Amino acid sequence: MDKDQVLGHVLRLLDDVLSLNGRAQTFTRDTALLGALPELDSMAVVSLITALEEQLGLAVDDDDIDGDTFATVGSLADFVAARLA
Amino acid sequence: MTPHPVVFFLPASGGEQRLCLFHAPAPEFQDRPRSKLLYLHPFAEEMNKSRRMAALACRALAEAGHAVLQIDLRGCGDSSADFGDASWADWQADVRLGLAELDNRVPDAPLWLWGLRAGALLAAADWGRPVNYLLWQPMTSGKLALQQFLRLKLAAEMASGASKGLMDQLKGELAAGRAVEIAGYLLGPALASGLEAARLAPAGAPGRVEWLELSTREDATLTPVSEQTIKNWMDAGWAVRSQVAQGPSFWSTSEIELAPTLIARTVEALS
Repeated sequence: MDKDQVLGHVLRLLDDVLSLNGRAQTFTRDTALLGALPELDSMAVVSLITALEEQLGLAVDDDDIDGDTFATVGSLADFVAARLA
Repeated sequence: MTPHPVVFFLPASGGEQRLCLFHAPAPEFQDRPRSKLLYLHPFAEEMNKSRRMAALACRALAEAGHAVLQIDLRGCGDSSADFGDASWADWQADVRLGLAELDNRVPDAPLWLWGLRAGALLAAADWGRPVNYLLWQPMTSGKLALQQFLRLKLAAEMASGASKGLMDQLKGELAAGRAVEIAGYLLGPALASGLEAARLAPAGAPGRVEWLELSTREDATLTPVSEQTIKNWMDAGWAVRSQVAQGPSFWSTSEIELAPTLIARTVEALS
């Protein structure tokens, strides 16, 4: 999976889990997530992680659940890409 | 028109009660329901998020000639006790209570235990009688279910940077017999340990399993974990049919969402 594909997956998961109705498709790598997107509450964060584990098959460590990982679309996509590599 | 469900409190041990909703089958099936189902709701907040979907599915199944009983487990919804006081054994007792009530109302019909998410983990046990399973996005491992629930606390503390090492701390509290507070729910050690030990494994005399998952993708397939679990059930002699319907993960989405396709496929699967 290349970087664009990973970004595409991340945006689709964000849109699904947060019920954004397509709004995620307007996001860029710089779009702020944690603290900026009201839909991203703790349940949504855990749902996102679960979706990443189940649908992309990556293993998330408990210590990865960190503010830096979920800061922006770009930081989340990089996190996913690093674990898929 | 299917009438509204009958809402009542079922007496439970210790002078407690459990809220139940009974959906009678459509009039033409009143004498001969196609089946009877006991619905077991998912864990904590997922129960609230899925309330509307469960109600719609119950109604659709009743219209199609099935009898459905919903029970709020101990400490959940409008049943007695606080969530923090509930144990896994309490919930197993509630399943037996629900089964007895369903037998009273519908003596003769094939029995299905219908579990959503962690409800499937509660359903999968040897109940000493023939049981079929209707599984909606079943969780296959209680250990993982507990981990996902505890992660809610990590996610909540993430912004403040206090999430590191928190998982070990939470597990330590539970192991020491103390309750932990997660996302507004007090989780008692007896519920945590029971959930952690639960596995979606075949038990009792083999019957039918209808396994339904949801995905927003059109070309979705079952996850590898689901595939493996289904294989285990088939090896144990169960007749398993699985499918993936298209729709949102309504038990966890930010807004209350519906998956009508899942309901339609469920009615079809049980017809």
